[in-house]
Amino acid sequence: MVIFGASGDLTARKLMPALYNLALNRYLPAGFSVIGVALTPWTEQEFKTHMSEAATKYSRTQPVDRSVWQSFAEGLHYVAMTFDDMDGYGKLAATLDRLDRERGTGGNRVFYFATLPQFFAVIVDRLGASGVARAGEGWKRIIVEKPFGHDLKSAQELNRAIHAVFTERQVYRIDHYLGKETVQNVMVFRFANGIFEPIWNRRYVDHMQITVAEDLGIERRGAYYEKAGALRDIFQNHLLQLLSIVAMEPPANFDAEVVRDEKVKVLRSIHPINVETDAVRGQYGPGWVAGEQVVGYRQEDQVAPDSKTETYVATRLFIDNWRWAETPFYLRTGKRLPNRASEIAIQFKKAPHLPFAKTAVQDTSPNLLVMRIQPHEGASLKIAAKIPGPVMRLRTVNMDFFYGSSFLIESPDAYERLVLDCMLGDPTLFAREDEVERAWTLVDGVEAGWAAQPPPALPNYAAGTWGPEAADALMERDGRRWRRP
Amino acid sequence: MSGEHGQVSTRPVVDVHAIEEELAEVRWKLRPDGEMDEAAQHAAAEARANVLNLIVVVEDESGMEHVHRVLDGLSTHHPSRTLILLAQEERQAVKLEASVSAQTRTDSGHRVTTEQVLLHAHGQVAAHLASLVSPLLVPDLPVMLWWPGRPDFESQLFNELADLCDRLVVDTDDRGVEPGRDFPLLLNVARRRKARVAIGDFNWARLMPWRHLMAQFFDPPSVRSRLISAHGVTVWYGGEGSNAQALLLAGWVQSRLAAIGVPIPRELRYDPGLPHGVSRFMLYTGGEDGVSRFSIARAPGGRLTTQMRIGDQEQLGRTVAVAPRSADDLLAIELTIPGHDVLYEQALEAAVG
Repeated sequence: MVIFGASGDLTARKLMPALYNLALNRYLPAGFSVIGVALTPWTEQEFKTHMSEAATKYSRTQPVDRSVWQSFAEGLHYVAMTFDDMDGYGKLAATLDRLDRERGTGGNRVFYFATLPQFFAVIVDRLGASGVARAGEGWKRIIVEKPFGHDLKSAQELNRAIHAVFTERQVYRIDHYLGKETVQNVMVFRFANGIFEPIWNRRYVDHMQITVAEDLGIERRGAYYEKAGALRDIFQNHLLQLLSIVAMEPPANFDAEVVRDEKVKVLRSIHPINVETDAVRGQYGPGWVAGEQVVGYRQEDQVAPDSKTETYVATRLFIDNWRWAETPFYLRTGKRLPNRASEIAIQFKKAPHLPFAKTAVQDTSPNLLVMRIQPHEGASLKIAAKIPGPVMRLRTVNMDFFYGSSFLIESPDAYERLVLDCMLGDPTLFAREDEVERAWTLVDGVEAGWAAQPPPALPNYAAGTWGPEAADALMERDGRRWRRP
Repeated sequence: MSGEHGQVSTRPVVDVHAIEEELAEVRWKLRPDGEMDEAAQHAAAEARANVLNLIVVVEDESGMEHVHRVLDGLSTHHPSRTLILLAQEERQAVKLEASVSAQTRTDSGHRVTTEQVLLHAHGQVAAHLASLVSPLLVPDLPVMLWWPGRPDFESQLFNELADLCDRLVVDTDDRGVEPGRDFPLLLNVARRRKARVAIGDFNWARLMPWRHLMAQFFDPPSVRSRLISAHGVTVWYGGEGSNAQALLLAGWVQSRLAAIGVPIPRELRYDPGLPHGVSRFMLYTGGEDGVSRFSIARAPGGRLTTQMRIGDQEQLGRTVAVAPRSADDLLAIELTIPGHDVLYEQALEAAVG
């Protein structure tokens, strides 16, 4: 595996711990080798030391088994170069050849793009021009980190640049959300249980709410976030991925193309978003989160004091097909919300008739199925139950399934699963070209609508609250309310 | 009532994720001793029971003992994730501490584990404790806010917590509560445009026997027809403290009769010689046989006696026993009521009018 951007945060926090854990669980072949590529002028030994520290600090399994690490680290190598330097690619080719001979890697290569997105195109180009992309026997695959482009045009350009060198079957666009066990469990939940699919449609579902909430601010990513915003950063990928998984038709089998065909169909069926009625943007001001006073977005590092970038998005979507016509899907994401939570909530329609005698105190909330992605991974179904006593009083109770208490094995990290899938040649959990482009088309529509309107007065929600009032109004207009995840 | 108590940890933590981890760890330590096979671990994992989130606000340390006593009694009826907030904004040095504990009780025949988080804050952060409460709530369970004493209606803490909760439970019999000032504030909470909060009141449960007995006078259809000619209600009360109980009881009669188009005036009579609370409750009606009087009075030994006089005829009365209810009983009753208690809110509204 060749990691471009090997001295960066992603490599240290995610890739190296994931690779170590794969090695620990005997998923990697004996000769597996990593070549780190980055600008940082490290020696090979310095690279190994940094990676060892990263695995020790960030591995989900602790403590790190030193002898497994030593054995794994023998395959770690490093090439310091700039990403457009043709000589560097010559050195890279020589190292790869040597490893093929010495460690028997057989010409199989994964090129992992863990750099800033502006380097993606140039790396692809140089891999092609230097012949590294095609040299020798074995398969060649690339993993491209998000963001994949910043709008439809740039995504198409990047796709063109990649396809000049690699075919679509070689391209693995990563959205780590898809690697999460609980996201995959949504598909199992739907398609391995007979009782849900018959009610998974407009006749029984009142609406869905999909939430990706973060209590953190933008951390040190001000420069990136200023250009991205919540719509591009989360909505375009995580939220739309969750939507397509929860709304897709049952695939005939779990072949990558079959599953991805169904997901793309959902994206194609989404009615263009009318920004005036169906999209709300927000930006956080100063406030309190978890007992701590925090600054507003405009006071964060590397953020303009009059920034118009949105840190919150809520939308109402409709999917124009037989299954979902006229069923609203409410999607929201934001920074500095009261807690961190990702979940899909399916609100079913109310019981059509309540045969119980009227009592002075009435409360019949409809059934709700919540699939929690994080934290408290699991699912719960809300049902009405009678409170013991002579009077007919109802209360909703939860039937809960917690991952943690049903399966006592620790879930692998999303990156472990995805890196392994790529090496095994299974692109099911990666985004396909048309999927990414369709998602950008939707986002571009919203961006264009917003550009044509004066922005709302920002900031419009205090840190530690559930977003701007307009987002509540979006629900209230339909007689609904956001859940408290 | 003896339960198995496991106060395991009071290590101060302030980070939300750390609090959750600590809770998980504390629960684990409460499980049966020894090596467990997987099936036993599953069984133990399920012993954690939560039916609601309960937030309790305590103004000073002296209130803690009372709160702990009530919560201890409550845990068997309503196992909950309980967050106790000791919020002292007026104290100077900024401080924020959290400690967690879990309790396992076996009284009911099942092992039931409940969790408690104590958040202790001084200074500015005390006003913003809701921001720490929010991520600690168990999702999809009702959120109850019990505020012993007079809620600080104007405070930031109260308003932010009210936004989070489904039900606010108070005791309008508390010494700090002045019905003239506080009933309208309470009613406003129930009518907030955003996040309407249901109101529960210990006093309402205390008045339940009085309400039952008054309603039972009118079970026979021949007597019920007299309600149309009701023309007054009088409540006698005594002792020190507020007239909240008397007001609510009169308000209840007024609101029920107003609902059938019979507005009546009320009269509250105070007698300092009487013990605290309602001592007599009387409803007057007209009708064919002349003026009728329906009366309930407190009798020695925690009893209530009823009297009914229709025209000149004294009807058969009766005496019933009313066991005093403890605070944990009263709180348990309030936590059982789902949604808005329409009768209470209308009684409160009539009491304000």
